[in-house]
Amino acid sequence: MRRSLAFAGTAVTVLGLLATGCSGGGDSADSGKTTLKVAALEGGYGRDMYTQVIKAYEAAHPDVDVQLQISKSIEDEITPNMKAGKYPDVVVLGQGRKAALTETLVKDKAVEDLTPVLKAKVPGETKTVGDKLTPGIVGNLNTNPYGTDKTYLMPMYYAPTGLFYNQALFKKNGWETPATWDDMFALGDKAKKAGIPLFTYPTAGYLDSYFFALLADVGGEQFYTDVMTYKKDVWKTPNAKKALDITTKLLGYAAPTTVGYANEQDFTKNQQSILDNKALFMPNGTWITGEMADAPRADGFTWGLTPLPAVTTGAKRYLTTSVESVWVPSAAQHKDAAKDFVAYLYSDEAAKIFAKSNAIQPIQGIADNLTGESASFYKLYEDPSVSALVGGFASTSPVEGVDIKSTLFDTANSIISGDTTEAKWQSALNEASEKLRQAGN
Amino acid sequence: MLACLLPALVLFAVFMVYPTVNVFRMSLYTWSGFSPDMKFVGLDNFRHLIDDEQFVRAFQNTVTLLVVVTAVTMGMGLFLAAIMTRQKLRSRNFLRFVLYIPNVLSVVVIAAVFSAIYDQNNGLLNSMLRLVSLDSWQQVWLGDQKVVLYSVGIAMVWQSLGYYMVLYMSSMSSIPEELYEASGLDGASATRQFFSITMPLIWQNLRTSLTFFIMSAVNLSFVLVRAMTGGGPDSSSEVLLSYMYKQAYTNSSYGYGMAIGVVIFAFSFLVSLLMSRATKREPLQF
Repeated sequence: MRRSLAFAGTAVTVLGLLATGCSGGGDSADSGKTTLKVAALEGGYGRDMYTQVIKAYEAAHPDVDVQLQISKSIEDEITPNMKAGKYPDVVVLGQGRKAALTETLVKDKAVEDLTPVLKAKVPGETKTVGDKLTPGIVGNLNTNPYGTDKTYLMPMYYAPTGLFYNQALFKKNGWETPATWDDMFALGDKAKKAGIPLFTYPTAGYLDSYFFALLADVGGEQFYTDVMTYKKDVWKTPNAKKALDITTKLLGYAAPTTVGYANEQDFTKNQQSILDNKALFMPNGTWITGEMADAPRADGFTWGLTPLPAVTTGAKRYLTTSVESVWVPSAAQHKDAAKDFVAYLYSDEAAKIFAKSNAIQPIQGIADNLTGESASFYKLYEDPSVSALVGGFASTSPVEGVDIKSTLFDTANSIISGDTTEAKWQSALNEASEKLRQAGN
Repeated sequence: MLACLLPALVLFAVFMVYPTVNVFRMSLYTWSGFSPDMKFVGLDNFRHLIDDEQFVRAFQNTVTLLVVVTAVTMGMGLFLAAIMTRQKLRSRNFLRFVLYIPNVLSVVVIAAVFSAIYDQNNGLLNSMLRLVSLDSWQQVWLGDQKVVLYSVGIAMVWQSLGYYMVLYMSSMSSIPEELYEASGLDGASATRQFFSITMPLIWQNLRTSLTFFIMSAVNLSFVLVRAMTGGGPDSSSEVLLSYMYKQAYTNSSYGYGMAIGVVIFAFSFLVSLLMSRATKREPLQF
């Protein structure tokens, strides 16, 4: 009995090892096909669009077998294999995720230079990828994280972010969306009399769309770039002080429930307060309509989106544009096939499939065919006084204990609760920025 | 003999000794966790820790949670076990069942339950306080930096209490009834019996469970903080393990995260040692 058990155990182990060994290879040797491993985040757009795009790609490329790995927590699933040296060939995953996998590989300089993809022709078409893309969507710190002319993260989907509100509530009260910060605070006082707080946010992390636009509104694009690239003492400048002054004043108008619900478990309760007319504005992205699609709402509720108010009348306003990325790890096995696949993602055929799931790519003219709520959101880009703002903090070597995004956004909770002051906030930001500047150098 | 022990020794070395030694080794490097670029920095990561206010705050929070949660859980566990063992309660089995239930629940479920209890508008806690006209006691339980840590602590107590109560009940029920009868004839009160008979006779069990609880509380605090508050608001409920996770995986400072891991290891080891020394008594037998 013992001997048979030992034999069975050995057999299972050997078979297991053989099976693992067989599946570890990149290509199917017998078919002569290249096996391209694609890992994608299953976000608000769902998973069907990926399977359809892959099917279409495989039909046109019979020599490639695309294996899709898709999950709502794709980082957790691919990280162990990556640590063991098994990298996917293509990854569709943006920055700003909790696990910060994209940021980590960028800091490590472990992503492939995709500048050649911009110059490559879209498979099956005559135009190059670069020609098809919306002007200004590449060449920023989001796509060129090292501040050079090389593109490492290709922009996959884009969405305007800004202040979301209930259009029906504004119409009922005869309120206009504020064009300047003075209008904003005047509206805050009016709304307060009606028992509605001016502002809330799901979690402090959502303030990225607010802050990036505000910095550009206050000091222009150069000032915004200075902040994002950690220019020396940038947080001590009058523009930085002005941005923090406005924010501190705005946070004084925040709904009292904001901080208590601003966590992973309860953030939708803050989002619900907009649907219930218990707060006027909330920074968010266009995905909010899908995310809260099944939530109860006030009668006649209609989502509205407005850019942040300008600092002075008639001044330029910026709309922070959220861009999700597709990238190729430097350690990928099939880089050429990966680049060809990435180029295909910008084809008319693929874009049509993505758009059906409301995943809008930064391809010229694609937003013209939108209807409904999405159309009104993307229409904001047509306003001549509004400019799209893409990017984020520049990548540096990691600095132990320093996370400037956390210092900039999370402190809002302490400002609302009175646990810290604007002066301490400014000082902490300057200190963090300086440490990152030195790491960048 | 050695041949019999060999498989266990190999497994222990591979899955326990090697990873632990590796944590110590990694704490001497700067590394993101992915690239082959590892830079040896000696004790620099530990020097950074001393100046890192967030780390100090996370350490303070961990110590506060350990002290408060351990004292409350152990105290209440002993008290309830003594009542359930010594008093002839008719609903004893039902109470034991009810108090033990949280121990088998997933921490994520516990986080969701307490999120509902702590809801500032419609939560059970604030509603009950309103009902008994204690409106001034109402709090934003997960949003107030002064109370959020204790809110997490209460969830930890709720999760652990039943397990330790059952553990102590088991020890207490094995104490011979004659000891209580004899002391009762001598006029000893229930309180006196608890401190002079029950506690000394379950002391070894108490010592072991105390060390075990402190170690598990370090882990439980991490999981609950991650699920309930994410360390917020503004890092006010950050604990050592959640800060280690953030540094290693979100801030791409894997070596620094491992340095925090070494501190957690040393801290846990020290607390266990101190606890063992402080609670050392001559074992009593019956």
